[in-house]
Amino acid sequence: MIDAQKTIVVTGIGVISPYGTGLPRLQAGMLAGQCCLKPVTELYPGFRGTVASVGDLPSVAGSHRYSRSDRLAMAAAQDAIAEFSRSGSVLRESGIVMASTVAGLTEIDPEISRGPAAWYRHGGLSRAASYPVSRVAASVGEHLGIEGPNCAVSVACASGAMAIALAANMLLDEAAPMILAGGSDALSPFTLSGFNSLQALDPEPCRPFDQNRNGLNLGEGAAVLVLETLAHATKRDAKILAVLRGWAMTNDATHPTAPQKDGIGLACCIERALEMAACGIEEVGYVNAHGTGTPLNDIAETHAYENAFHGRSRPIPVSSTKSYFGHCLGAAGALEAAITITAMQASALFPTLRLTDPIESDQVDWLRGELRRQPLPAAMSVSAGFGGSNAALVFGRPRA
Amino acid sequence: MNTTLPVLTGIGSVTPYGPLAGLISAAPLEPGAITAWTSPGLRRAFLVEPFRPASIVPGLKTRRLDRLSAWALVAASLALQDAGVDLNLMDRSRIAVFFASGFGCVELTEAFYQSAATNGWAGTDPITFPETLGNSPASHVALFHDLRGPNVTVSSKSFAAESALLQAASLLRHEQADLAIVLAGDTLTQAVYEWYEVAQLLAPACFSNEPISSAGGFIPSEGMVAMVLEGAVRPAARRYATLGAGRWAAGGDVQAGVRQLLGDELPELTICAGNGAPCASTPLTCSARDLVGEDAVIYPAQAVAAGMGEAGGLLHLLLALSSRPGPGKALMLGRSAHGGYAALRLELS
Repeated sequence: MIDAQKTIVVTGIGVISPYGTGLPRLQAGMLAGQCCLKPVTELYPGFRGTVASVGDLPSVAGSHRYSRSDRLAMAAAQDAIAEFSRSGSVLRESGIVMASTVAGLTEIDPEISRGPAAWYRHGGLSRAASYPVSRVAASVGEHLGIEGPNCAVSVACASGAMAIALAANMLLDEAAPMILAGGSDALSPFTLSGFNSLQALDPEPCRPFDQNRNGLNLGEGAAVLVLETLAHATKRDAKILAVLRGWAMTNDATHPTAPQKDGIGLACCIERALEMAACGIEEVGYVNAHGTGTPLNDIAETHAYENAFHGRSRPIPVSSTKSYFGHCLGAAGALEAAITITAMQASALFPTLRLTDPIESDQVDWLRGELRRQPLPAAMSVSAGFGGSNAALVFGRPRA
Repeated sequence: MNTTLPVLTGIGSVTPYGPLAGLISAAPLEPGAITAWTSPGLRRAFLVEPFRPASIVPGLKTRRLDRLSAWALVAASLALQDAGVDLNLMDRSRIAVFFASGFGCVELTEAFYQSAATNGWAGTDPITFPETLGNSPASHVALFHDLRGPNVTVSSKSFAAESALLQAASLLRHEQADLAIVLAGDTLTQAVYEWYEVAQLLAPACFSNEPISSAGGFIPSEGMVAMVLEGAVRPAARRYATLGAGRWAAGGDVQAGVRQLLGDELPELTICAGNGAPCASTPLTCSARDLVGEDAVIYPAQAVAAGMGEAGGLLHLLLALSSRPGPGKALMLGRSAHGGYAALRLELS
């Protein structure tokens, strides 16, 4: 028996990605196997690498007050509620939980360190105002006139998935009738330089889960899911796109940047999400992996799948869609949640691009080559991040 | 669903009052003169005096960390000590860490920008970069204490601390954790202070030795407060307060929201969190008295906590608890001049 008050459903998806604005563009691009990763040199002097960037951003009034991450978030949120009447109280009373790691770092340049006061007086004051990560969620609220609980999440690359998990908890608490949850991050010299200094970037398009993988590529974008209880969605006759059946968060507690080698923390996260979803390991038809393409992440993640899906009658199908448009950091988990739902809607298991020599595992079915068509009753999106954080989301198809 | 209300069983803090376990003196403080950077004249703030973290928590290694991470480690350790929690007896995969901050690890973020200014973006420091991430303090707490449950860092315009408290309580209620360490804090740096100054948000008392006044701006503050929340409370545990329902919103009708939360049960004590102090000169639409009635005792917002902005909520709560109110029903009420509010019902022990 389904408890409609405790069942969380997805009733809207907004996306801005290197494919453009809107889920249909993302879906069409991915179904066509189109890769958005491109070589660049101009992001800062001395940088040569591969990234995926968003083209033109929709214009907003007072855009000087908003960072690029804010504007990506505003565009995705706008897209998510395109069907909504702006005048309704439901939207006004809704909550916002937005993830970001970069936030307004895009608007600050190193000159600030030579004298902050002078930098502020010469035009930096309003730019620096967009620095706090809370600005991303606040900007969405301002832009759409949404006045419910407003929260930003910053848990490195697990942020986007955690925003969705926290929003689901808030809905169970009746903190708001509906919540816009997702993540947004822009490309910035700060993060490119940081990952470059860690030698984590592949100068060529990344090859997640390949034995010859060489690091990650950064991307940018935003995704926002409209979440509400089934009871609320039914009452307002909303179209249900997916059911968020389960979610979980854990931490490895082993290293500030490296994942736990045996993937136990991530496996625990996956198991808890499946338990909440009352979803057996046989029922999961697809896992959208974190799959960054770094040597350490991908092997740890493989071990996590081997542990969590141990005993399954056939290998678990897994792919990394970061091979299409890079790692969008705080937005990654939300974008990948949107892709997971798209995979269920289209009965399409997206292959990992450029995966020619996969990590050996007899328990993982590495999706590669041709797009596979298969009905998916349940699918999972998995995220992990610096600081050892893990998040897993289990989605199911809505009942006909 | 756990129907037992979460209980606050331990407190640790690193604030201008010093690094302390449990309640604090809560005596009014005077801001101190800033000496960490050169200013054209006197600049004052509520500052945490330098101390050696390992002298408080043996074994801590914090040399390469942002002060915010170091304070989180100390405050969390003191809170666990105050709660009398033996982690060896607990399932550490069910211990959560919830951290709230307005600015995150801004000190090392500035250091990273400094290295980019000096060496170019191609010559930045790989050791510093991961420590600039907003979730570093929470993940260091997990790493030091081997806490493998949910580890979440949040920020919320004006109400980061309250939001963390409410969301951590939610995790416990939904049995996604058995115990949560909730932390809220921020550090004060030259770039942050000068942003406030150029934006003309600071009180006159920041620039002279005149007495503290809420008129004309606020006095920046820094620090970290950690609180231990438990779902199923151990019999021997201390109980500072039991957390009831809460609400928070970025806008809308404060009166309607708070009245809906309270129903017919008016609090005996209202703890004003006064967040959003940077714009405190903007008139608020109604007073705390309007919201909670004539009979409630009002514990006013404290300058040392209001100066922490988004992250000040836990320090406000700590100061109120430390003023030794008697047992009874209380309301923690944070309001922002930007609009919005955070309200949390408490049963003080």
